[in-house]
Amino acid sequence: MHIDHLVKMTNEIATFFASESTPADAPREVATHLTKYWDPRMRRGIILHAEQGGAGLSDLASSAVKLLVMPTPR
Amino acid sequence: MYAIGYHDAGTPASVSTKSVRVEIDGQSVQVPEGTSILRAATAAGVSVPKLCATDTLKSFGSCRLCLVEIEGRKGYPASCTTQVADGMKIRTQSPKLSGLRHGVMELYISDHPLDCVTCPANGHCELQNMAEVCGVTETRYGLAGVKHAGLEKDQTNPYFVFDPNMCIACSRCVRACDETQGTLALTMAGRGFESQISASQGQDFIDSECVSCGACVEACPTAALSETTLATQGQPTRSVTTTCAYCGVGCSFKAEIKDGPQGAEVVRMAPNRDGHANHGHACVKGRFAFGYATHPDRVTRPMIRKRISDPWREVSWDEAIGYAAQEFKRIQAEHGKYSVGGITSSRCTNEETFLVQKLVRAAFANNNVDTCARVCHSPTGYGLKHTLGESAGTQEFDSVMQADVIMVIGANPTEGHPVFASQMKRRLRQGAKLIVLDPRAIGLVKAPHIEADYHLQLRPGTNVALINALAHVVVTEGLTRDDYITERCEAASYAKWQHFIADPGNSPEQTAAATGVPAALVRAAARLYAGANNAAIYYGLGVTEHSQGSTMVMGIANLAMATGNLGRAGVGVSPLRGQNNVQGACDMGSFPHEFSGYRHVSDTTVRGLFESAWQVPLESEPGLRIPNMFDAALDGSFRGMYIQGEDLAQSDPNTNHVVAALTALECLVVQDLFLNETAKYAHVFLPGSSFLEKDGTYTNAERRISRVRKAIEPLAGLQDWEVTMRLSRALGYEMNYRHPSEIMDEIARLTPTFTGVSYEKLDRLGSIQWPCNDTAPEGTPTMHVSQFVRGKGKFYVTEYVPTDERTSSRYPLILTTGRVLSQYNVGAQTRRTANNRWHDEDRLEIHPDDAESRGIREGDWTGISSRAGDTVMRATLTERVQPGVVYTTFHFPESGANVVTTDNSDWATNCPEYKVTAVQVARVSQPETWRARSIAARQRPRPRVTETQ
Amino acid sequence: MTVRLYLPRDAAARSMGADRVARAIDETVHARKLDLQLVRTGSRGLLWLEPLLEVETPRGRVGYGPVTIESVASLLTDVVLKGGAHPLCIGLIEQHPYLASQQRLTFARVGVIDPLSLQQYQTHGGYQGLQQALRLSPADIVQAVTDSGLRGRGGAAFPTGVKWKTVLDQIATPKYITCNADEGDSGTFADRMLMEGDPLCLIEGMTIAAIAVGATQGYIYVRIEYPDAIRTLREAISIARAAGFLGPNIQGSGKTFELEVRCGAGAYICGEETSMLESLEGKRGEVRVRPPLPAVEGLFGKPTVVNNVISLASVPVILARGAAHYRDYGLGRSRGTLPFQLAGNIRHGGLVERAFGLTLRELLYDYGGGSASGRPIRAVQVGGPLGAYFPESLFDTVVDYEAFAGVGGMLGHGGIVAFDDTVDLAQMARYALEFCAIESCGKCTPCRIGSTRGTEVIDRIMRNENREQNLVLLQDLCETMLQGSLCGLGGMTPIPVQSALQHFPEDFMRTRS
Repeated sequence: MHIDHLVKMTNEIATFFASESTPADAPREVATHLTKYWDPRMRRGIILHAEQGGAGLSDLASSAVKLLVMPTPR
Repeated sequence: MYAIGYHDAGTPASVSTKSVRVEIDGQSVQVPEGTSILRAATAAGVSVPKLCATDTLKSFGSCRLCLVEIEGRKGYPASCTTQVADGMKIRTQSPKLSGLRHGVMELYISDHPLDCVTCPANGHCELQNMAEVCGVTETRYGLAGVKHAGLEKDQTNPYFVFDPNMCIACSRCVRACDETQGTLALTMAGRGFESQISASQGQDFIDSECVSCGACVEACPTAALSETTLATQGQPTRSVTTTCAYCGVGCSFKAEIKDGPQGAEVVRMAPNRDGHANHGHACVKGRFAFGYATHPDRVTRPMIRKRISDPWREVSWDEAIGYAAQEFKRIQAEHGKYSVGGITSSRCTNEETFLVQKLVRAAFANNNVDTCARVCHSPTGYGLKHTLGESAGTQEFDSVMQADVIMVIGANPTEGHPVFASQMKRRLRQGAKLIVLDPRAIGLVKAPHIEADYHLQLRPGTNVALINALAHVVVTEGLTRDDYITERCEAASYAKWQHFIADPGNSPEQTAAATGVPAALVRAAARLYAGANNAAIYYGLGVTEHSQGSTMVMGIANLAMATGNLGRAGVGVSPLRGQNNVQGACDMGSFPHEFSGYRHVSDTTVRGLFESAWQVPLESEPGLRIPNMFDAALDGSFRGMYIQGEDLAQSDPNTNHVVAALTALECLVVQDLFLNETAKYAHVFLPGSSFLEKDGTYTNAERRISRVRKAIEPLAGLQDWEVTMRLSRALGYEMNYRHPSEIMDEIARLTPTFTGVSYEKLDRLGSIQWPCNDTAPEGTPTMHVSQFVRGKGKFYVTEYVPTDERTSSRYPLILTTGRVLSQYNVGAQTRRTANNRWHDEDRLEIHPDDAESRGIREGDWTGISSRAGDTVMRATLTERVQPGVVYTTFHFPESGANVVTTDNSDWATNCPEYKVTAVQVARVSQPETWRARSIAARQRPRPRVTETQ
Repeated sequence: MTVRLYLPRDAAARSMGADRVARAIDETVHARKLDLQLVRTGSRGLLWLEPLLEVETPRGRVGYGPVTIESVASLLTDVVLKGGAHPLCIGLIEQHPYLASQQRLTFARVGVIDPLSLQQYQTHGGYQGLQQALRLSPADIVQAVTDSGLRGRGGAAFPTGVKWKTVLDQIATPKYITCNADEGDSGTFADRMLMEGDPLCLIEGMTIAAIAVGATQGYIYVRIEYPDAIRTLREAISIARAAGFLGPNIQGSGKTFELEVRCGAGAYICGEETSMLESLEGKRGEVRVRPPLPAVEGLFGKPTVVNNVISLASVPVILARGAAHYRDYGLGRSRGTLPFQLAGNIRHGGLVERAFGLTLRELLYDYGGGSASGRPIRAVQVGGPLGAYFPESLFDTVVDYEAFAGVGGMLGHGGIVAFDDTVDLAQMARYALEFCAIESCGKCTPCRIGSTRGTEVIDRIMRNENREQNLVLLQDLCETMLQGSLCGLGGMTPIPVQSALQHFPEDFMRTRS
């Protein structure tokens, strides 16, 4: 997947929950959104990107991605 | 001439709940107070002669045929303009009345051609009929007197003819234009015997303000205004009731058919006066632009090709479907089961949509299904589901007639949803107040007898800042409905939101810098909205197609909840859906993450229900959305696609990116009426069937499910649902439906909001608004009545986040997009009709100041460049747009409006940010060079379609 | 001592050369260095004497007329300027029999004062009605008008007080007062004379109406053919407004009433009240269906008083002198006075304001002096172009609303047009239909088509083409129009036709080529 797109999208989701949620809940809310709406290969892509340093990801986006369960390869 | 077989009740129904009893010709009848004697007579089964009265227009009292006698009253009052009173005794027949009617009819006949036999209205002409009823066969006035004869016909409108020789000056056309359509294009010019219908200031119809809605034609009792087809094709002999396939208003029509040696042909689309969405009204698209269905461009034979550079080869259905199935199976075998997917269309029926998503989930065994609603109203689904609990508009259209304040946000109803716009305008003329939030001065801002009280002309992309500012005023000025909020909404979410919205950063004064809207205007508009008894919000793609589309939908819901404007008639949050079945496509489980009825694929109970019904294990993870599919196609994990009735290459943003993705696919199956832009990259082409050729249902913007009924045989032999069914079988997953009603039965079994829906009930009720189930067996006009679907309404904090798409010195202007009345979406249908008479190219609207600084004059070719691409278009200078903003429509592929739009999308749903693109505009002297460059950029492999065999 | 002369500025006087006379007077005054003041007034209504010059003397105003430019020099002499003898002298104007026997309540100031002098208006009793009204409750004002017995002088004769009561009872706001000054009936000119001669009287009447029903805005709908009236009214409105008789806080009462003049565009039908409202709204002048009544849903859908000029101009005197004073004039259900207008083939055409109760013959002969041609009067049309043609045998009919209705006629707006024995009543019947054909708004079928067909039928009758069948057809057509038309225009056009057929059948039996 186009990693730039995934990073941008994750950051945008994080931006919404940064204000909508509390600092404590926000990472989980972002992670839930990604789990509910993202195809596993996209989640895989962003997780792998985060594992490699997560360039471009906002802090909240990074901590959200860390909460994601790695989908099985498909 | 109204739909054949229609029985006109004479005057509109009274809405009074009080009833009175009257006696008509000795027959007692009970009718609502305020009913005309004429209508009461109809109710009593008594037919009173009439010509100027019709039940869609206010009574007028001009023809003087419906005169009656009332016991105890002098004279002979017109029954259309006289209301019943309790105990009234009325006689509709007497020698005196017969004499008067005879006298009037004789006058009519003395000024009318007597060549009925060759008249296009022969047999359906009300004048002819009344002459017979009144026993007038000749006129004692003779033939020597002055007459309206030898007058020139106005044949400038491509769809109807105005023949002044046939006019009886009943003013039904004028009144229809005023009352029904609200354009006020027609008038009665001259006076007395010289009275005659005039379009605008004595102009030809085509040059007048006429919008060709056909209301005048429908209202005309003679052949003075008649459809061109009645003369060229002859009169229809039967009709089927069906639903328009254009916008989300979902007008009901009678497709009137003539059976001939070549089979059935549709002569007219007559608006259905019993239609619940349109009440007998229509627009230039639905009413007249149906000729595309039989346009020579229609592809009626399946075609395949190995490579997209190869010419097409016409093949049998079996071969085409077999080839497609074989390719999908091969790809899945080679690249895994997630490497293929499908796209449902908002233009197809619920049943077809349901089948395509079923095919993807059951036969492809993945969830890679999405719908074109992705690119229009997916934020509506997300935003309304989260705040209110249901992904749908809250009202029925008729609700607008009880609204005191109407707020229109990012929608252009008079162009995009013309029939509903007419209803809204009727309410506005009655005195409802209007607030418009739009970067552009849309038609509603100033129209005949209508003027927006406030036009908040914001900069594109600042919706959320503006809705927050409105809410800020409501909250900080104590205009909230606290009792409502306490009773119906989540207290914690409200407290959090209230704290957020009250922040001075959200005040009109502080947001003005971003929105460009003067604070005083925002405050006044907020007070007007919040202070109304009933305030209703209608919105369109100007809300959703933004990087904060979902946030904006939530912001709208917040505002409506805070002011108590949800849960009854006259209020609500109503998305105006662009295409005929956007609501339905979403309802049917077209999104990759949910089954029909908006239930997530990860829900094991729901999934279990579908697994046992479909006898197949189902995927629990969400699949790819359309833009994700493009990305996946480019990275190689997605290689096969089945697209039904959607032209991704023209309608999706950043054409260059889309084309690259489509080109990368190994198997692209396109099912469509025409070889559209997307078909250029397809390997299999499956001919589609138009709405006239199939059975099914559409669900309009007010959740109204209406039947589509087959009027003519499918040109390619199969209806779309049959094709999907065959493809599924070829893929190895059995589907056996004998009729779309069986598909609906399955939908009803599997979808709680549809359990009460069946074709039998649709036939009985005409249409049904879901939810329709045991609690609401006849459907639900208004949602969230006693409580919100989600229980308590939830407020969301909606912080304004400016889009990444910003102006710069290189791209100093903001381009935003919209649509025009005569064309529809990407134009595939309307461009193949005479609607091009009104709009035959997309133009760039630019403010005179911006044009002047660039040396651009009216009609000049301009080059438009964005970060994504370039295109060319001619310029129109207008102050409808503000300085710094340019605007265009996207109906013509050669305009390439989407070549310049970018990949930016809504954070929650990936709905593209069509409405904001930073561009530069320059005058170009050689448009062809520019065009060639932009076309070359987006269409690298562009094989010619060649005839074979 | 300055001698004061009076000369009308009324359009009728001007059409007879009043302005030229005034210029000649000015020039002579200049040349002879005379100490004269020329006051321009309305017309007294003795139209055959226009331009009628009056000289103020201690005995009263002495009249000279009709004055020509040539006679000016001989009039501006010491003798005449003291009210002395001259071939044109008619004596003390107030004692002229035409005027002395009149009962001028509504027209009391017309011809007497400078129409645009607020001071003269008030000196002659102006604004006393309004002062009284401001002391009364709205209901009491309405009651006074009801008690006066005033009925609509436009022609329909509907009790004015009842109409006002309906508007007063409406809760919707704003309310409007509209004055119908689209005086289109042939042979009528009372509205014009009043507007040109005493505009403040109309303004006062409308202001009283506004206070009575709670209206805040008024419109005077004047036909465009009355440019003098339009100009005079507009000036008078600004004078009244400047003096606090219009506008916000009228005479410190806290009441607001604004008034505007709107012009018609040449359509007779706009004298029909609902068409007038359509026209005032900027729409095509076309009849509205009633109900709803204008009093309930009138101008812009709001409660509206629609009254004729004379009705409204009669209100100040009713308030100033009391309902009983007005009511004591007239008889039966026709109370007060009516300004009759004598026109056509008549020797002494003009305005005669009299209480109801005299006969047609008195008007024609005692006032009118018989026909201008000197031949016998054969027919009179009363009440405008849609009124009945009366033969000599009906000249003794008592002039009141009910008596006229009893003989198939109507008083209408009080216009009386005389014809001598050269008149062809078949042609006049045709003219009625032709008038209807020209002026029909075109909305309803009987009027739109019937009027045109009617002229064709009469043409055939006159040419003796199937005369018997066409006479039957004409009667049938009259019945269709009478019973079937939407408004009075089509509904009353048969009246002159039928009266001509009834009283002058012989005219329809003569064959013309």
